[in-house]
Amino acid sequence: MKLHNDWLFVSVVDVIVVNNYQCFVRLNKHSTVSSTVLQFKITRGKPVSKEILSKKPLHILEKIKENLEKLNEKMEVMIELQKHGHKDILPLPDASLDVMTLLSMPDHLRKTAMTICRCGRATAEEVSQQTTRARAVESAYLNQLVIMGYLKKERKGRKAYFFTERDSQG
Amino acid sequence: MSKIIAVHSYKGGTGKTLLSVNLAVTFAKFGKKVCLFDLDFRAPSLFAVLKVENRECWLNDYLNGACEINKVLIDFSSRIQGNGNGKFFAALANPATEAIRDMSAKDRKWEMRALGRLLSLRNTLLNDQEFDYLVFDTSPGLQYSSINAIVAADYVVVATTSDRSDVDGTRRMLRELYNLFEKKTGLVINKVLDATSKSKRDEMDSRVKNVYQVPMLGLVPCFCEILRAEGNMIFVQDKPNHPFTKILEEMARKIDANEVN
Repeated sequence: MKLHNDWLFVSVVDVIVVNNYQCFVRLNKHSTVSSTVLQFKITRGKPVSKEILSKKPLHILEKIKENLEKLNEKMEVMIELQKHGHKDILPLPDASLDVMTLLSMPDHLRKTAMTICRCGRATAEEVSQQTTRARAVESAYLNQLVIMGYLKKERKGRKAYFFTERDSQG
Repeated sequence: MSKIIAVHSYKGGTGKTLLSVNLAVTFAKFGKKVCLFDLDFRAPSLFAVLKVENRECWLNDYLNGACEINKVLIDFSSRIQGNGNGKFFAALANPATEAIRDMSAKDRKWEMRALGRLLSLRNTLLNDQEFDYLVFDTSPGLQYSSINAIVAADYVVVATTSDRSDVDGTRRMLRELYNLFEKKTGLVINKVLDATSKSKRDEMDSRVKNVYQVPMLGLVPCFCEILRAEGNMIFVQDKPNHPFTKILEEMARKIDANEVN
């Protein structure tokens, strides 16, 4: 997902199986978050062998479910970003997450930033447990704080950890 | 449940240090393990109240990352006569002019790291060393050190007086500082004249309800004995039957029983 000229572009490609054929599903058009209709382009690929079909139907369904969840999560993030406008997510030179900065932040970001201040390092899941807001929403706010330069982000395996500069290692 | 309590006010001279010291000692008299912190780096005063002169490590050094917190703590438990196992420690701010000047010149990055060090006290003292209460005596108004203390605290005791400017400033601070940080607060109105009269008590109750809109933790009358003591004694320790001691005991009991919501 990337932000460009007030429009949100989503590039999601998935592979599903329809009538024994691999199909590539692509979210086709750029779309604003407010639009409720998303257009998909489905193109037919190679036929899927019977062997694969008989061996992995559950695996394929799980994969589809997982990808749909990812898509849903991305949509929630886009909605949150759109809700609060883009003015909050400009990168700031020499940004530091001190108490005066916390005081001047919009309420929704302050809550997330305060939680990271208290925890030191945390994932979006851990932050959401403390704030009782949805994980996807916290993920959006944490990423906004990273873009603004207040937080740093580090991936370890599949998990993304967020932390302040004072808690950075090394 | 262990807690960090910050004692703060809008203006100076509202009795923060008096309340902090006596509240901390009252907890210790109740058998709790308590540490009192002097976070008023621009006008340190606990060194005088507790009669300490030379130290190798001050609280300033801990916040500078120059020493561990255990090097700063001073054990005053032998001075406390209470019921049983109460422990009273203190971490003092350096009163030297050079140190005050140094603390006044800190930048935002330093303040951010200082907040991290204050927050880490929860692990080192409350969790690992099993302290029951950490009491932060802060500097008045909106200064970095006091806001850091408020952010790190679980509960804020707001000391105020009947002074007009103090009432207005405290009301603003409740709305624009403590509420923004979602802090639990309790109000202590100090130096109240005619506090024993019913009309005065009703007036204070109404002010707390209508103007401050936060729970009242205590109403402290203006006691001439406190002024006469000139800061030379810890009142709850040296005058166990004085009405001031009874008021502080009631405040400590409310906080300890979590009756402060």
